[in-house]
Amino acid sequence: MLKKSVLALPIALAVIGMAYAAPGQKPEETLDELIKKSPNPGYLTQSPQNIMMLPDNPAWDVVEAGEKLFKEARGPKNVSLEKCDFGKGPGVLAGAHTELPRYFADAGKVMDLDSRLVYCMKTLQGFTNDDAAIKQKHGSDSDIMKLQTYIASKSNGYAWNPPMNHPLEKAMRDAGEVMFYRRAGTMDFNCAACHSQSEKRIRASVLPNVYDPLDWSKAISWPAQRTSHDHVRSSQHRVLECLWQMRYPNIKNGSDASIALISFWTDAARGQPAVLPDLKR
Amino acid sequence: MFKKTPVAASLVAAASLLLITGGCSATNTGKTAEAKPAAAVPAKVDYTKMTPAALAEYLVLESDGFDLKQPTQEGTTGRHRLTQDEIQKACSLGKGKEVDDKTREKVMALAAASIKYPEGGIKLGDWKKGRELAWSGYGFRTAHNPDDHVKGTPGGNCYNCHQLATDRTGGNIGPALTGYGARGTSPDMLKYTYDVIYNPHVYFACTNMPRMGAVGVLNQQQIADIMAYLLDPNSPVNKQ
Ligand code: HEC
Ligand code: HEC
Repeated sequence: MLKKSVLALPIALAVIGMAYAAPGQKPEETLDELIKKSPNPGYLTQSPQNIMMLPDNPAWDVVEAGEKLFKEARGPKNVSLEKCDFGKGPGVLAGAHTELPRYFADAGKVMDLDSRLVYCMKTLQGFTNDDAAIKQKHGSDSDIMKLQTYIASKSNGYAWNPPMNHPLEKAMRDAGEVMFYRRAGTMDFNCAACHSQSEKRIRASVLPNVYDPLDWSKAISWPAQRTSHDHVRSSQHRVLECLWQMRYPNIKNGSDASIALISFWTDAARGQPAVLPDLKR
Repeated sequence: MFKKTPVAASLVAAASLLLITGGCSATNTGKTAEAKPAAAVPAKVDYTKMTPAALAEYLVLESDGFDLKQPTQEGTTGRHRLTQDEIQKACSLGKGKEVDDKTREKVMALAAASIKYPEGGIKLGDWKKGRELAWSGYGFRTAHNPDDHVKGTPGGNCYNCHQLATDRTGGNIGPALTGYGARGTSPDMLKYTYDVIYNPHVYFACTNMPRMGAVGVLNQQQIADIMAYLLDPNSPVNKQ
């Protein structure tokens, strides 16, 4: 297991005291901060290779491609995404992802990063569901993943802080909590079966504990490069993977069911800094 | 097997109430959405008027969030997989909640009633076959990448949660079963082990261990093979 002091101390010192915003902090510094704070770092430190590789995360190439796409005039309306409001005002990306899902009055819905991005690509740029730009949801070569990875990278080091002011934000979070404990499927699984204790493992994989915000902050830090997939993956994709193991049927990307789960899981990491983009096994 | 109870009555009541008020948009508030073909648009439902449990049930089974028509390997649909039976419902305990005595008794009784024993009595099978079954996590997965039971035999997933023999890394959601054979093969021990694999709720109400006999993931012969892997003195589980 890695010692808690692997990463440069001076950098770690520089970020102390920045509870809600850490502009310029690198994902490896944020992870180091989580590891140092954790009394049970088994999940956070389980892959020394990934910790070592984090500064050279292949996801940075995807971030770069995403930034280009974001600023490029595209779609039938030939405009960029720079006027898209991710919750903190048009064009404001810093700390926007760590405050999602949230309620958007223009759409009348609680949206996660994925669905908000799609909303802007439709309303601002004029894309439709049939366009490849929106249709292809997964893989580092998809527009959606390039854009999400770029947008989320602007929230590294920011504390998860999904708003709970609108009644729908609360309703979705609370329903997501019920879903987290709702047992179903061939194996009777709920999410809690695998994610409610520290340092539990499925085979060799150490599982993050939803009750430990330090674990959980990294756990929900998506997009992340999945080394075993050789692709950047989204929160929506992680939901899908766990539901697959649970023997549940397919969940629809951007459905309220998926957003309710993501609302609950983001709330569970409240106050801890996001590692974006992350690198996972 | 287990009786599937449909969506909680309270939800049905809540939803039908809301249906009366609805009918104008796909969004979940009073906001007017862009015009969409009316046929594809479900009636409006006000999430903020529902209890968290009712909303969760609605999101899982009524909101078109899951592919409820997705075929399953056992010939049912996604809806069947997501509809809770009595044990699943009784055991969906929230944060920090423990099962109460009344529920425990009910769950244990339901579990006991589910167990069917082999006609010739419980015997140990072939530990080598059991070893493969204990290791395999294949089977019954659907979602984006459905398992094909013609190409692969569904396994018991035991290593996902248990350390068994030491030649493979097992999980620790369940207790380590290394050296399990030291408990012997008395009729009581055979029955206990068979029961736990068939339906562990009979001893451990609301356990996280699946009911692999009761739901048909493993047949009686496969359970006998896995039991041999646990109990046969020649099995790697019982050799250092
Ligand atoms: C049968 C066990 C199991 C169940 C049930 C389960 N998960 Fe997971 N989950 C895993 C495994 C294994 C990983 C990968 C962890 C790793 O690689 O260290 C994982 C990863 C995750 C992660 C990301 C952490 C990471 O490092 O990849 C999140 C978030 C998550 N699960 C949420 C959920 C939610 C929400 C549910 C319920 C819908 C759920 N899980 C149900 C086993 C499970
Ligand atoms: C999802 C995790 C999970 C899977 C998969 C699983 N188990 Fe378990 N098992 C448990 C848990 C948890 C317990 C502890 C019972 C309790 O207190 O809830 C347990 C208990 C047991 C026990 C009783 C332990 C004792 O000391 O008497 C046996 C035997 C057992 N499991 C065998 C198996 C076998 C064989 C398989 C594969 C066919 C298997 N388990 C699959 C989680 C699992």
